[in-house]
This record gives sequence, structure tokens and C-alpha cells, in this order.
Amino acid sequence: MSASHSAEKVLSSSAKDSAASKKRSRNMANSRKAQRALALAGQYAGLIAFAIFTCFPFVWALAVGLSTDPSNTWLFPRSFWPTEPGLMWFERVFTEMPFLKYLKNSTVMSFWTIVSVVVISVLAAYPLARLKFPGRNLIFVAIIATLMLPSEVNIIPNFITLKHLGLLDSYWGAIIPNFAGAFGIFLMKQAFEQIPQDLIDAARVDGATELQILWRVMVPVSAPSIAALSIFTLVNAWNDYLWPSIVITTRDKLPLAVGVFNDLTGPFAVSTSLVMAAIVLTVLPVLIFFAFTQRYFISGLDGAVK
Amino acid sequence: MKNSSSYTAIAYLFLAPALILMGIFTFWPVGYNTYLAFNNYSIAEGTATWNNFEHFKYIAQEELFHNALKNSLLYLLVVPVIQIAALVVAKLVNNKLPGMTFFRAAYYIPVITAISIAGVVWANVYKYDGMLTWLLQALHLVPQGPDGQIDWLGNPDIALYMVMLFTFWKGIGYYMVLYLAGLQAIPGEVEEAAILDGANAWDRFWKITVPMVKPTILLCTLLSTIAAIRAFQEIIVLTKGQADTYTALYYVFDQAFRNYNFGRGAAAGLVVTFFCLMLSAIQFRFFGEKK
Repeated sequence: MSASHSAEKVLSSSAKDSAASKKRSRNMANSRKAQRALALAGQYAGLIAFAIFTCFPFVWALAVGLSTDPSNTWLFPRSFWPTEPGLMWFERVFTEMPFLKYLKNSTVMSFWTIVSVVVISVLAAYPLARLKFPGRNLIFVAIIATLMLPSEVNIIPNFITLKHLGLLDSYWGAIIPNFAGAFGIFLMKQAFEQIPQDLIDAARVDGATELQILWRVMVPVSAPSIAALSIFTLVNAWNDYLWPSIVITTRDKLPLAVGVFNDLTGPFAVSTSLVMAAIVLTVLPVLIFFAFTQRYFISGLDGAVK
Repeated sequence: MKNSSSYTAIAYLFLAPALILMGIFTFWPVGYNTYLAFNNYSIAEGTATWNNFEHFKYIAQEELFHNALKNSLLYLLVVPVIQIAALVVAKLVNNKLPGMTFFRAAYYIPVITAISIAGVVWANVYKYDGMLTWLLQALHLVPQGPDGQIDWLGNPDIALYMVMLFTFWKGIGYYMVLYLAGLQAIPGEVEEAAILDGANAWDRFWKITVPMVKPTILLCTLLSTIAAIRAFQEIIVLTKGQADTYTALYYVFDQAFRNYNFGRGAAAGLVVTFFCLMLSAIQFRFFGEKK
């Protein structure tokens, strides 16, 4: 009797135990879920806070540019939202500074920079990546070493060189030093190295010349890297400030980054509204371009850092 | 099949445009700078005369250059901050969660903005009654009213750090993208296994992420160190070198294009180049291939 009683006790207690452990495990699962939700919320909070940090100057510039009534410009946080929205200041940008001329200059200079950088980098990267020839390592190391030099120091000699070439105050003078650079050659070399040797051998057996191999085999396969290089070069060329500001002296030949800056810190500095409208208009073209191409960007850079 | 000597010809033919252009605009300037640094250069006649280290002797005792060099070295403080922040941010946006494309783009916007244009906006952030003052007053971190209105770019004690904050804002997206590319090369299983083993986020970051993106860390630290030593454009657009923000490259630029003393500018530039190479060598030694 007592035995059965104790057995019952054991049974019931073990049943109680299992119920408790089930409850505990459910609690644990719940708390783990809660923990994960909390971590996720924390992560998003951090991401949003950081997005505010990177974007707030532009939000403010946009709001101020859109406010036809500038009286709230220095009233925070009111000025992050436009007062009496309108495009008046944007229209005045076009009438009061040669904005379209600057835009055209930037476009022409960026276009030729991209074409030249891509062609020169692709041509130089192919032998460095796939051909055996004496001096290959030395040339590659010399090119990469230039990444460690402060390029601003080149300004003085390059200024003198361009003076001798008669290229001062010209489009070409403003962009030609940027045509050949270590970054582009390195990026394309990394991309070309990932292409299987079989493809090249097959083309050679078919009697293709090296130029045909480069153009018909290597270039199409490396399209993502070429896209990344083009985007990267566009952003750099569009935003280049220091060198064009030294080389180009005629106002009508200035690119946006220089022309708008000179105007904004000079004659137009008095009207913050006009300044912000001009800034929004200057940033907009790159922003739109980047929005459409950014998905190629990271995938194309992939090989460069491996 | 062709023999190797015909590849040599074609290789150099393909390399020619790059080598000629880099020769003229990258390698030649290094040599010419060295030459100019030891000579008196006359712009009008285009002649140079040997001057027995006069430029180096001059800048070695000049207070202005010492201070400029000190500021350039102080600027290195931004390097560790920007690198750790960029890696953390890259880690955060590397998750497969909704909205990551948006955040990546939002963080990259400062990078695709011209430095001159960004500088004009930030001048308004740093105005004595601008956005930074408002934010700190709203958080009650500085006194209300005119007492708390600080001229962020005019006060020599803080102006340089304010310019560094601008550099941080402008550059973090760039390094984030490089780290992101590096992180995407890490197989997901490694991290999953560590989670199963009970490693927390902190340990996973230091014991998995950091070692696996080490080559990217070296590349980014190197680029960011050189960028810090060359700090100049951010200063020209924000403070024009006032309030103790004058850096070594600003000195080079001033000597060349304001004083028209190309030789002295080149000598100072050579000193900056020397620092760049020395710091790069140190980093290769500490972070480079070491087993």
C-alpha cells in the first residue's frame, strides 16, 4: 500500500516535473524570442539613427531650398520641413548663375574621364593578369605603390607640366591626370584573374588575337567590375574639386563642384535659401544615377578586396 | 601557339597608355618634386638653381610648418574611429533583413557628394546658431541662449575636431562598402556554427568577423591613414586653415600658389610623402601577412 502510494507520488511528481519543465522551456523559448525581437529592434534603431546622421544635412538643405518663405531657416527643428513650399529658389538658381553651363562642363568632363579610365585600365590589367612577360611584377608593384603617395603633392609638378603642354585652363588639363590610376588597374586585374584559363586557351586555338580575346572574352565576362569602375570613376570625376579649381580659370569652363562652390561662397553667400537650392540641384544628378546603378556597385567591387 | 617574346611585345603595347600617363602625371611628379625641393625655382624663367638644402633648413625651423605638421598627425585620430565604425555599420547592413538596400544607399550619400558642396552645408551645421548648437541645447548639454552658442569652426581648441567629424561623416560610407564586399566573402556557416556554440555577438565580432576581413582592414586602414595625413580639401572648404586647422598639405598649397615658392612647397610636400610612406610601412609590418 505504502509502496503504491509512494509510486503514485513519484508518478505525480514526475508529471508535475515534466509540466514544469515544459513551462520553463516555453518560457525560455518566449524569452529567447523576446530577446531576438529586442536585438532586432535595437539593430534597426541603430541603423535609423545612423541614417539620420548621414542624411540630415541634405534633408535640411532640401527643406530650406523648397521654402519660399526663408524666415524659419534658423528655427530648428521647424526648418527640417519646408515653409510655404515652392520652387522659386530653384528657378532663381538657373537665372542667377550659369548652372546649366556648369552642368554641361561636368557632364563632358565626367564622360571622357570614364571612357578613358575604363579603356586604359582594361588594356593595362589584361597583361598584368593573364600574360607572362619580363617586368610584370615590378610594374604591378610600382602601380600599386602610388596608392601610398599623397596625390596632392603632384599638383605642383603637374601644373608645370600642363603649362608646358599648353593645357592650362582647358577641359583636358582638368581631367587628363586622372586617366590612369592604380585603383582601376587593380580592380580590373582582380576581375580578369577570376576568368577560367580554358576560355582564353580556346580562343587562342581558334586563332584569336590578344586584342580579340580581351574584347570578346574578358570584357563581356567582367561586365560587373567594369560597371563598378565606371560608377566609381563617375562619382570621383563629378566631385573632383581641387585640381579643376587650380587648372581652370575661365568661369564658363568650370565644372559644378567648383563653379557652384565659388558662386555660393562668393556673390550668393547672402541668401541661404538660394545656396541650398543650388546644392540640392548639384547633388541630384549623381544621386539619381547612383540610385539606378548601386546594385552593380557592391557586387562589382567584390573581387577587389578578396 | 605564340612564344613568350611575342607576348612581351603585346603586353607592353597594352600597358603603354597607362604607363605613359602614369609616368607623366604620377611618377614624374615624384622625381620632379624631389628635384624642386633642392632648388630655387623661378616661375617666370622656368629655371631652377641648387640651393644647398635651404628649403629644408627653412621649414625645419619654421613654427608655421611645425604646427601644420602637428595638425596633420593629430588628424590620424580619425582613422581608428572611422574604421571601427565602418566595420560595425557594414556588419549591420550585411544582414538579410528588409530595408538594407535603403540603409546602404543612405550611408553612401555623403561619399557621392562633392566635398565642396558638402562643406557648404556643414558650414551651416557648425554655425554658432546652427544645427549642432540647436541639437546640444535641445539635449541640455550646453547652456541655453547665447551662452551655449559656440562658434564650432572658429574656436581653435575644437575646430580641428569638428573638421574631423566632417571627414568621418563624408568617409564612413566609402569604407563601409569596402568592408561589405569583404564580409560577403565570409561563408554564412562559419557564423552559424559559432552561434550554435553559444558565442555572443561581441565574441563573434572579434573572433570571426575581424580575423576574416583582415586583408580589407589593412587596405582600409592604409587608405584612411593616407587620407588623414593628406587632410586638406575638407579644411579649405570649411575653415580656410583658420582657428588652428592649418595642415601640412595646406602649407604646401599656400607656398606654391600663394607665395609662388614652388621649391619650398615641394620640400614640404616631400616631408608629407615621407610620413605617408613611413606610416604605410609600419602598418604593413603590424597588420600585414604574419602567421
